[in-house]
Amino acid sequence: MFEMNGEVDVKMKKKKKIKKKDRLEGMKKEMDIVSVIHKTRRRESWREYGLTSSKAAEVLERDGPNELLPPKGTPEYVKFARQLAGGLQCLMWVAAVICFIAFGIEFSRGTLGCFDDLYLAITLITVVVVTGCFGYYQEFKSTNIIASFKNLVPQQALVIRDGQKNQINAMDLVVGDLVEIKGGDRVPADIRIIFAQGCKVDNSSLTGESEPQSKTPECTHENPLETKNIAFFSTTCLEGVATGTVINTGDRTIIGRIASLASGVGNEKTPIAIEIEHFVDIIAGLAIFFGFTFFVVAMFIGYAFLEAMIFFMAIVVAYVPEGLLATVTVCLSLTAKRLARKNCVVKNLEAVETLGSTSVICSDKTGTLTQNRMTVAHLWFDNVIHAADTTEDQSGQSFDQSSETWRSLARVAGLCNRAIFKPNQESLPIPRRIVVGDASETALLKFTELAIGNMMEYRERFKKVVEVPFNSTNKNTLMLSVHELEDPMDLRYLLVMKGAPERILERCSTILIKGQEMPLEEQWREAFQTAYMDLGSLGERVLGFCHIYLNENEFPRGYKFDSDEMNFTTSGLCFAGLISMIDPPRATVPDAVMKCRTAGIRVVMVTGDHPITARAIAANVGIITEGSETVEDIATRKRIPVEQVNRRDARACVISGGQLKDMSSEELDEALRSHPEMVFARTSPQPPSSPPLIIVESCQRLGSIVAVTGDGVNDSPALKKADIGIAMGIAGSDAAKNAADMILLDDNFASIVTGVEQGRLIFDNLKKSIAYTLTKNIPELTPYLIYITVSVPLPLGCITILMIELATDIFPSVSLAYEKAESDIMHLKPRNPRKDRLVNESLAAYSYFQIGAIQSFAGFTDYFTAMAQEGWYPLLCVGLRSHWENVHLQDLQDSYGQEWTYAQRLYQQYTCYTVFFISIEICQIADVLIRKTRRLSIFQQGFFRNKVLVSAIVFQLLLGNLLCYCPGMPNIFNFMPIRGQWWFVPIPYGILIFVYDEIRKLGVRRHPGSWWDQELYY
Amino acid sequence: MSTNKDGNGGWKSFLWNSERKEFLGRTGGSWFKILLFYLIFYGCLAGIFIGTIQALLLTLSNYKPTYQDRVAPPGLSHTPRSEKFEISYNVNDVETYLKYTKSIKDFLEMYDEERQTDQNKYEDCGELPESYRDRGELESDAGVRKACRFKRTWLGPCAGLDGHDENFGFKDGKPCLIAKLNRIINFRPRPPTNNASVPEAGQSRVQTNVIPIHCQNKREEDASKIGEIKYYGMGMGFPLQYYPYYGKLLHPNYLQPLVAIQFTNLTFNEELRLECKVYGANIDYSEKDRYQGRFDVKFTISNL
Repeated sequence: MFEMNGEVDVKMKKKKKIKKKDRLEGMKKEMDIVSVIHKTRRRESWREYGLTSSKAAEVLERDGPNELLPPKGTPEYVKFARQLAGGLQCLMWVAAVICFIAFGIEFSRGTLGCFDDLYLAITLITVVVVTGCFGYYQEFKSTNIIASFKNLVPQQALVIRDGQKNQINAMDLVVGDLVEIKGGDRVPADIRIIFAQGCKVDNSSLTGESEPQSKTPECTHENPLETKNIAFFSTTCLEGVATGTVINTGDRTIIGRIASLASGVGNEKTPIAIEIEHFVDIIAGLAIFFGFTFFVVAMFIGYAFLEAMIFFMAIVVAYVPEGLLATVTVCLSLTAKRLARKNCVVKNLEAVETLGSTSVICSDKTGTLTQNRMTVAHLWFDNVIHAADTTEDQSGQSFDQSSETWRSLARVAGLCNRAIFKPNQESLPIPRRIVVGDASETALLKFTELAIGNMMEYRERFKKVVEVPFNSTNKNTLMLSVHELEDPMDLRYLLVMKGAPERILERCSTILIKGQEMPLEEQWREAFQTAYMDLGSLGERVLGFCHIYLNENEFPRGYKFDSDEMNFTTSGLCFAGLISMIDPPRATVPDAVMKCRTAGIRVVMVTGDHPITARAIAANVGIITEGSETVEDIATRKRIPVEQVNRRDARACVISGGQLKDMSSEELDEALRSHPEMVFARTSPQPPSSPPLIIVESCQRLGSIVAVTGDGVNDSPALKKADIGIAMGIAGSDAAKNAADMILLDDNFASIVTGVEQGRLIFDNLKKSIAYTLTKNIPELTPYLIYITVSVPLPLGCITILMIELATDIFPSVSLAYEKAESDIMHLKPRNPRKDRLVNESLAAYSYFQIGAIQSFAGFTDYFTAMAQEGWYPLLCVGLRSHWENVHLQDLQDSYGQEWTYAQRLYQQYTCYTVFFISIEICQIADVLIRKTRRLSIFQQGFFRNKVLVSAIVFQLLLGNLLCYCPGMPNIFNFMPIRGQWWFVPIPYGILIFVYDEIRKLGVRRHPGSWWDQELYY
Repeated sequence: MSTNKDGNGGWKSFLWNSERKEFLGRTGGSWFKILLFYLIFYGCLAGIFIGTIQALLLTLSNYKPTYQDRVAPPGLSHTPRSEKFEISYNVNDVETYLKYTKSIKDFLEMYDEERQTDQNKYEDCGELPESYRDRGELESDAGVRKACRFKRTWLGPCAGLDGHDENFGFKDGKPCLIAKLNRIINFRPRPPTNNASVPEAGQSRVQTNVIPIHCQNKREEDASKIGEIKYYGMGMGFPLQYYPYYGKLLHPNYLQPLVAIQFTNLTFNEELRLECKVYGANIDYSEKDRYQGRFDVKFTISNL
């Protein structure tokens, strides 16, 4: 079994190297070979007998069981270990180890306070492990892809072996097995149909196409995915029965390939992950640089090796923003929660921000851009095109319904219709009711129901006598029915007919104009042609309608109409009008597309529809803007051959699936580069190289951040490949949802735009949050630097630093995620992932060297105040360290000649930690206020509008008080109850920070582009 | 920052881009501007900082620290200092206890008779314990206050004066410890209000105007091994006329009273733990501070 896994693994690895197109070719060839084998075999009596058990066992031995094997991924413990071994984590491990060593040595010496080192080590390890678990959980959630494919796989199969039918485990199927499927079954492997009776298969789990496909033994297409005689593993047989031979099992089936492709496509790193990695590297590098420099300096000054190591550790602890990763995660999950309320469920947290940097959205048409229901869009009667109301809630304008012709047309449309409402839906609005019938009949039924009212009863009144439905077998493109008239006195029969407009017109001799029957003259035929062309060019499906009152004498009551013989008049009818239908765009989509456009995001449409329909919808929703022309349009306008048109003149471009297949990747890149408005139409859902995947890859080559929508299993590789895969919540398959980073609960394109907005906002807010978090690292670091170089008693301890990082400052930094946008972020271009970094030079410089510096001065002022007021003058402190820390010196004299024991000095030192802590807290309150805005004045943004931030400040103060004044704190966390006035010493510095930043923002606003703006705007 | 993406060449050109004459991503002019900015910025900050510190210093009294909550109640320190809380030596080997005797000798030099002759600086405060000697308010313009003389001879065999044991008993296995109560400005130690707090063995030495000190075994099992302990000094404790202390500035010649403790019969070759405590109404002990009002010391005297 394990060997088998290995083998499959090796195969997969080899496969990955092969280009996707080649893979597709390969797949076709394999299928051909299989078909050849079976053709030869079919001649034998095998068809009834099936494989022998021994042969089956042999093949099973060779091919392995018929199941989807998860690719051999990285073992879980390696993944977990990786989470614990990032840049910062490694540093913290080193710091923890140093702490342990220091603890060991000091403990053996019996030093007072040596347990601090132990606590510190434990805290550091806890921080690393907890963040690691967090990251691991995130990763674990988003990688479990194969599981969703497994759900698709059937359990049992009916197989014929040794001439007998057996129910066996689907896992044991082998190539060559003869299987039977019937309505309701899942297809147990890829099979070639050799016998079928009314067999229809639902491929939606594979391709997302919801229309059932009929399966017959004929080979209708050379492409295995389009031919009718192959049914695929995991699809569902809806009705009928079929017998077929297994041609592929397990991972070699189509779904198996998609599964391995989906799990094989590397999960692209999200832009925010890259950003964070980028800056974590810088931080880690700087921490090591600082630590090492001061290690060397300390050694040089003459400290012992162990002391120098402890300095190194302390500098690492002070400089590394321990709480940062937690802050980022919490900020992202807050946004994710907010998005979930707006119908976007984010699976992978980092996707939130990715959405904000998205520059291309590849959207599916059906269901996402459109309502996914055929709706009557236009009518042509009385020689005028009338527009129907296509809005979802019927809020639009209706046309003039007074004409007599309209009544006739509506009657034909209503009567010549087999669709019916499912019962008990009276309470629902008409557009939402469920209908049994095909798409266009459904549209007509709903349309007439809206226009005339209660169609079911209406049809009762016109009793149906006979009906000839559409029939694909006898190529009948028309449908007709004969009805009795409503008026019981009128004994004529009414024949109504609908169908392809040109075929209907052939059968007509008159036309209704304003209720009058007029002979169908050339003038009317031309008008008809024009209208038909016009409607067709809108991408709409057009139907013609006509009727005739049958002659009472010729067809008296009780006349036997025969639908097969057609023993009644079917020509010389009276033409009533045209009705055209379309799957109309969702009401919110044009706005959303417009928003995307202003936000600098390209929307590329991908659809299986006809190019004309695709284009019409694209134009309708604004993907192709007014006045944009395709190459073909220009050619037609200028009356020149297509080849002579300068391709760069055409803004828009519609590429069909066929063209796409023939394009090289360079050509596709070129097309995407030169045409801002792209529509891909009639793309066939061929899994290994499904068009979205190719398009995504092309866009990514051009440096875009791509979002892709998808619903079918076949979309899952593209969803995985995209920077952000968006699955449809309603129409989406489980596999698609699993491969995606985000799920749209309402399948609505407009929700994506909301997501983009939130993503951009969180990027801005993360910037603020990180700036806030980074600032305090300087006042945490400088005490050590001063301590080492000037030898003052230590102003700030490591545990205190960790309390700032992990307790008091977390909430305020998270609260910045609730900040409102400063400007209309949807009017800016998407950020350039290579230039607009999350943490840029000016952000770091401003936080570190300016605000951080002010905070450091505040801390030292308060520190010297506390020292001086207790009897230690600033100048005495300098160089005091070695005496101060001498455990055996119990009578050290202060500036007044008083003698201090070691423990008294130690508690004084804790007092200093606490006042330094308070100074940082006070300054951080000023800091969180200034970080609310980067450009606007805080007075413009509003002080109290962000309630969370206000409560965060209150929380921070309360927590600070708790740490200071809770009994027992001195010996647990080295906090001392400090005097009230020491809280006020740093306040002037807080005000300074605030005022300085207001000046900075004023300069930035007043003089955009100036030196001030360049250096001080982050 | 983005330059490091381009590999090694990127780093080099980031360091020095000869094309654009940029060093670390900035031209000379740009460096000048930014450095000038930071010079002014830090100049202002430093100015503010120094200003505030100066203002702070102005608020401080010269004579008394603003707060004394961290330093009081006083610690009890001893000479020689213990190393790792332990005094261990071999009576037969001078080298092992030389550091102890030397530190006592150095410490007691301050108490030399000839240093205390200046009548302007010192005054006699009697041979017997008396009450506090008030020398006026701290802030008054009385100037430098006189200090009470303290005679080394009071320390008896532990005085280490010529003719006495210059080895402070270490040589004979009867080591001396010199104990002192840490100086605290304006602190007036009060004798114990009830004798109950003083252990029985020390009851005899309790008298008015003296803060008594008493040492005993820390562990039960050492009770029989520590032998007799002798106390030398005025009133065998800390007499009150030496208090209060007026601070370095007003009381530069201050000598705090000393008590010499001699352990005359310690069991050799065993680790003995002793605890010495001073007793007073306003003297506290703290679990965290082993030198507040008391001290521990571990003796290991070997004669092998």
